[in-house]
Amino acid sequence: MPDFDCSRIRNFCIIAHIDHGKSTLADRLLELTGTVTRREMRDQLLDDMELERERGITIKARAVAMYYEHEGTRYELNLIDTPGHVDFQYEVSRSLLCCEGALLLVDAFQGVEAQTVANAYLAMEHELHIIPVINKIDLKHARIEEVLEEMHQSLGIDPDDVVKVSAKTGLGVPDLLRAVIDRVPSPKGDPTGPLQAMVFDSHYDDYRGAITYVRVMNGRIEPGQKIRFLKGGTNHEVLELGQFRPRPVRCDSLGTGEVGYLVCNIKSLDLVHIGDTVSTAHHPAQPLPGYRVPKRMVYCGLYPADGQDFDELREELTKLSINDPSFEFVPETSEALGFGFRCGFLGLLHMEIIQQRLEQEADLDLVQTAPNVTYEITTKNGEVLEIHRPQEVPDTGSIDEFRQPIVRVNIIVPTESIGPVMTLCQDRRGEPKGNEYLSPSRAMVTYELPLAEVIYDLHDKLKSITRGYGTMDYELIGYAPADLVRLDILVNGKRVDALSFICHRGDSDRRGRQVVKKLKSEIDRHMFEVAVQAAIGSRVIARETVPAMRKNVTAKCYGGDITRKRKLWAKQREGKKRMKSVGNVDIPQKAFLAVLDTGEKK
Amino acid sequence: MRSKAVPFDATSSAPRGAMPRAAYVHVPFCRRRCGYCAFTVLAAHDAWIPRYLAAVERELADLGAPREVDTLYFGGGTPSHLPRDAMRRLAEATTDRFPLAENGEWTVEANPADVTRDWCRTVRERGVTRISLGVQSFSPRKLRVLERDHDARRIDESLRLLFDAGLDVAIDLIFGVPGESVEEWDGDLRRAVAASPHHLSTYGLTFERGARFWGRRARGDITPESEDSEAELFERAIDVLTSAGFEHYEVSNFARPGHRCIHNETYWLGRSYHGVGPGAAAYVDGRRMMNHQGVLAYIRRVERGESPVVDWEMLDAESRARERLVFGLRRLEGVARGAFQTRTGHSIDDLAGSAVERFVSLGLLEDDGSIVRLTRRGLMVSDAMWPDLLRPEVAAPREPARSNRAENAP
Ligand SMILES: Nc1nc2c(ncn2[C@@H]2O[C@H](COP(=O)(O)OP(=O)(O)OP(=O)(O)O)[C@@H](O)[C@H]2O)c(=O)[nH]1
Ligand code: SF4
Ligand SMILES: [Mg+2]
Repeated sequence: MPDFDCSRIRNFCIIAHIDHGKSTLADRLLELTGTVTRREMRDQLLDDMELERERGITIKARAVAMYYEHEGTRYELNLIDTPGHVDFQYEVSRSLLCCEGALLLVDAFQGVEAQTVANAYLAMEHELHIIPVINKIDLKHARIEEVLEEMHQSLGIDPDDVVKVSAKTGLGVPDLLRAVIDRVPSPKGDPTGPLQAMVFDSHYDDYRGAITYVRVMNGRIEPGQKIRFLKGGTNHEVLELGQFRPRPVRCDSLGTGEVGYLVCNIKSLDLVHIGDTVSTAHHPAQPLPGYRVPKRMVYCGLYPADGQDFDELREELTKLSINDPSFEFVPETSEALGFGFRCGFLGLLHMEIIQQRLEQEADLDLVQTAPNVTYEITTKNGEVLEIHRPQEVPDTGSIDEFRQPIVRVNIIVPTESIGPVMTLCQDRRGEPKGNEYLSPSRAMVTYELPLAEVIYDLHDKLKSITRGYGTMDYELIGYAPADLVRLDILVNGKRVDALSFICHRGDSDRRGRQVVKKLKSEIDRHMFEVAVQAAIGSRVIARETVPAMRKNVTAKCYGGDITRKRKLWAKQREGKKRMKSVGNVDIPQKAFLAVLDTGEKK
Repeated sequence: MRSKAVPFDATSSAPRGAMPRAAYVHVPFCRRRCGYCAFTVLAAHDAWIPRYLAAVERELADLGAPREVDTLYFGGGTPSHLPRDAMRRLAEATTDRFPLAENGEWTVEANPADVTRDWCRTVRERGVTRISLGVQSFSPRKLRVLERDHDARRIDESLRLLFDAGLDVAIDLIFGVPGESVEEWDGDLRRAVAASPHHLSTYGLTFERGARFWGRRARGDITPESEDSEAELFERAIDVLTSAGFEHYEVSNFARPGHRCIHNETYWLGRSYHGVGPGAAAYVDGRRMMNHQGVLAYIRRVERGESPVVDWEMLDAESRARERLVFGLRRLEGVARGAFQTRTGHSIDDLAGSAVERFVSLGLLEDDGSIVRLTRRGLMVSDAMWPDLLRPEVAAPREPARSNRAENAP
């Protein structure tokens, strides 16, 4: 495929709150443009990662090139389907930089939700042309008029600009395609200028090395060309170029405004940086602005269940970080868990996804510690410490000020839940920052809250208070001093470093009791009594006892039982190896998440 | 894990050449299946009995020339469920191949519901010396929960018939049946002692895959007793029976002096034995073998002239010694260091010295320097010790791979 005249290229992404139908709309567009035949079609075709299908959500943004004939002219449409969950907003930001337009989808029943607002603002900041869309108009309970009002109220959208579709039935989708061609500006760039291409994604293929995804801003790329990654400063020869349609298909060149991938023989994992600029090796152009890597919100320790897998875990983390630069990891050690990594994530779902990808894609068995946020401490002698894990908190005596991250949280709720939601935020030490009615039935409540509270259980609580209708979005605004303490957990008198956590002094008794109770239920009975204690410094604030085992004896051992039992017992020895032992006490892997337990049944 | 055939090693403790002095025959028929049962049995399939008998006769014949044994054991299933002719035929085929030595022990398991004067005479005539009676309980409630098909009156009657016939009597009791109180269990123990059997075995109710109780428990339809209350019942049994003059000689077994089950001691002492019938295990020449568990599969294999053995393994000398240590320790008189070394070629201290020491310090084992044995507490939690005795001990905690290992590599 030759490079296309810029005036006939449209680059756009689909953004929305989670589940508003982005990937389903992408299905219809793929179908209507003939990119995918009906026979090849399946629901949310672009969600092809195992985890995406399992959970029914999009995790990675996906780019697809489509060709479409409109009024006698052939257009190249580059679409990027983005994830809706707040933890993956970084994927959205990156996609926006490759596009001139965005379809902002709003569910005709759910209406405007927290990520609708957040993503719309992101698109506006990037000066994208927004095409507002109400989706799911086929729903019996669609409340189109009200949703139009919510869109107007919260985002200043003119109801006349809104395209109404059903991604499920395809109703209105041809009109939407026409709107894309008519309203999304074509890319502006200099086809004859020096090559500048934005690296917006990449992944690692075991056979071909790093596959780099680019949007060409100026100039063009061809196979055989010598290119340079400006940030990495390395030169490579382009072996293959292609577009995603949606499967990778080779092409002869990528011109200005186009989106595709390039393969060089890059086997070293640290040469490709997302946000880097590709230019020519001989006359490199100026680098593009690139991306601001988002701030990691939560940290946790990841350890191989079997200490032997340490190197493998490092390798797999490195591979994953090529595909997802938004998490970071550094080696750490723990007395209880041995050698592992402290990893930083954008949120809890992000953490869960990375951990699952490691277990599923790389077949690694992991022990994860409870997540925590990054704290700041000023010591008595004026030193400022950044605390990524509870073990690093110094003695209370040497702390001058203990600070925690504060986020501004926007919560969109049905009006009848405003009261309970405000009580919830108040309980979590939040400060009210405003209420705004979006329509007679929905309002946005804004609070400033400690990030740690948001991570701990705010989201679950919000969902249960609002019966699923409340949604929230948050952004970091800074650090504030608070009365915080480090709680240690002792098992038979020995401190288990990986179980320490930081909490507000006022919550410490309750949290301490919950954690030791949870641990009691996770730790099997041993041949001796096991004491589990929570302590602040040397003061014990909670204690539970796992009583010694009373009866564990096989009654029948005759003939064939001998072999069966011998094998069974020998296997149990192997099983014990998988546990982490502190002193003589075996602690199962999942007990290291006991700190997360809120003491309530979910 | 099945090991490959390895040449027999000269240091082995296995009684090579020494032919087994014990034989077990499995009789897989029952009138109906009890709720807790996961054994190799066919309930209400008596039509298969003739083919089963023929298969056993053939398996016995394939074992070669007749050899005398000291003990025979007919287990099940319910051997007493066999019609009289079938029982005669099975007994005859067995003693043809395995003539019982003078003063030998021959046990047959029986269901109280099957024991009649006529049945007693039949087995006595063939040479049977000992009956293991599946009493399970004297409590009508427990018998009902267990889905047994006899009542307490039948038990008394069958006991009287057996004693009258001059047979040694062993009875089985189950404890920890859902809803069982200490009083109910005491009642069972009292009546068992009063019945004055020669031998008594007692088992906590277990939930096994394949049994109806397994599914019922999963559905929440039946709830096992707690670990603590099971422990209480078990300890109660030990106290009551030992003070009534029974010797507690293995985890679950109690005997009047001189009336231990010699056949079962064969298993625990690591001696060899033959096994015939579906699912039967054998230990011959250091090789552990297991016949196909499926009754029909067993019959078909034998009919086709194939070996019924589907699983076997050859243990090396060390594994054999470890196994011997574990099953030996389940006998309450314990394991004597000297005898153990002579028989196995391994010393207890080399195999598991530090584990033994640790368990002694936890009060689970007793060690007077020459004999190692279970304490009462050790007996109660003994399964938790065996993993450490069956596997070689790791010398020191392993240093995890260092992050700079790659750089240090040559
Ligand atoms: N009735 C109806 N259901 C729809 C429509 N569009 C999407 N859905 C359903 O809405 C659910 C979510 O659809 P997705 O396309 O996965 O939503 P998404 O926005 O891509 O979700 P994330 O990528 O996880 O943020 C699915 O069950 C779809 O079948 C529609 O027009 N009408
Ligand atoms: S428990 Fe005994 S009698 Fe009941 S079915 Fe099982 S083998 Fe037969
Ligand atoms: Mg999606």
